[in-house]
Amino acid sequence: MSRVSQSRGLFNRRVLGAVFLAGLGVGPAQAHDPIFGIGPHVIYKGGVEVAPEVHTSKKGNQRETALGIELTYGLTGDWSAGVDLPYQSSQDGLNDASGVGDASLFTKYRFWRHDTLGVQETTAVLAKVKLANGNEDTTPSVGTGSTDGILGLSYGYEGRKWYRWAGVRYRRNGENNAGLRRGDKVLVDLVWGIRPTPTSYLQPDTVWLVELNGEYGRHAELNGSSLPNTGGTEWFLSPGIFWTKRNFAVKFGVQIPIASHLYGRQDKTDYRTRLTLEWHL
Amino acid sequence: MKKIIAVMILSIIWSAVALAAGTEYRMRVDGLVCPYCAYGVEKKLKAIKGVEKIDVDLNAGLVTVDVAEGVTLTAPQMKTLFQDAGFTYRSMVKKPLNEDAKNE
Repeated sequence: MSRVSQSRGLFNRRVLGAVFLAGLGVGPAQAHDPIFGIGPHVIYKGGVEVAPEVHTSKKGNQRETALGIELTYGLTGDWSAGVDLPYQSSQDGLNDASGVGDASLFTKYRFWRHDTLGVQETTAVLAKVKLANGNEDTTPSVGTGSTDGILGLSYGYEGRKWYRWAGVRYRRNGENNAGLRRGDKVLVDLVWGIRPTPTSYLQPDTVWLVELNGEYGRHAELNGSSLPNTGGTEWFLSPGIFWTKRNFAVKFGVQIPIASHLYGRQDKTDYRTRLTLEWHL
Repeated sequence: MKKIIAVMILSIIWSAVALAAGTEYRMRVDGLVCPYCAYGVEKKLKAIKGVEKIDVDLNAGLVTVDVAEGVTLTAPQMKTLFQDAGFTYRSMVKKPLNEDAKNE
């Protein structure tokens, strides 16, 4: 086997074979934002959002679980910033590894807001930087070894009964020390939500939602050479629920693949889940 | 005579309570959609000294605040407060807790 082939095999096992959750560019789950997509919500000025969460994903014989905590601070009424600190557990066939995953820093600025009685329409930009602090030397890896950037734009309509959101993200992946660069990604989200019973202020509140999440990824590269069995397109239908009571929220959703066109020979995603508990303090 | 004195004492006590009563502010706010998001409003209002009671009517877009005697909420103050909470302040009506409403 040539050195390049060996190196590509190592790449596939260590980097592409795992940490696919880190490749999603999942946005911070702020308040009534979509679960897998992004939304324009920001926390109030001076507010602190504490959100422990669990992501799981299965793709062929690869499984990942990320336990994390997101901390967000409201800099102004329209601008928030925070950090996401994950602990990753990855399994690839018979191999498994766990450890501190790649941390992220994020910020969101709501640049347009139109309020009417019982309705809020908003638009925001989001920026996120995923750091390379996770361990990439395990098999499978729990860190990507690259610093990646994400830019997003989102629109949200929130009413007493109906919700709808649209979002788009571009993820620019960096190169790690081995010369490996995962393909850049574009993610689009269309989301609808309904509050079946408009509740009063102190009552528990439930909103059901369904998301259509699309992901397009370019081929990964190893020292500038394109890797054929990487990249492609996947679409997901994602039912979810928000349950809130005053300053506490529970959010849960499942991503179910409905269509995919992946380049070369790759396992399709079987499912992903996300559970978030959230407090506004 | 005892009855008259008792009535006079009760009248004085009632008057004292009435005069010491605070003010109710009823504010129209746009963008109030969900209870979870409105928590920021409650937190910011509670940070004002003298605020005694807060109620949010999401369907009517009304935030009602009772404050202690001598405490005043102003329109510019509320505009900033709701802006920081992520909503749009429109107007307010205030009334002493024991008198008819007065428009501000």
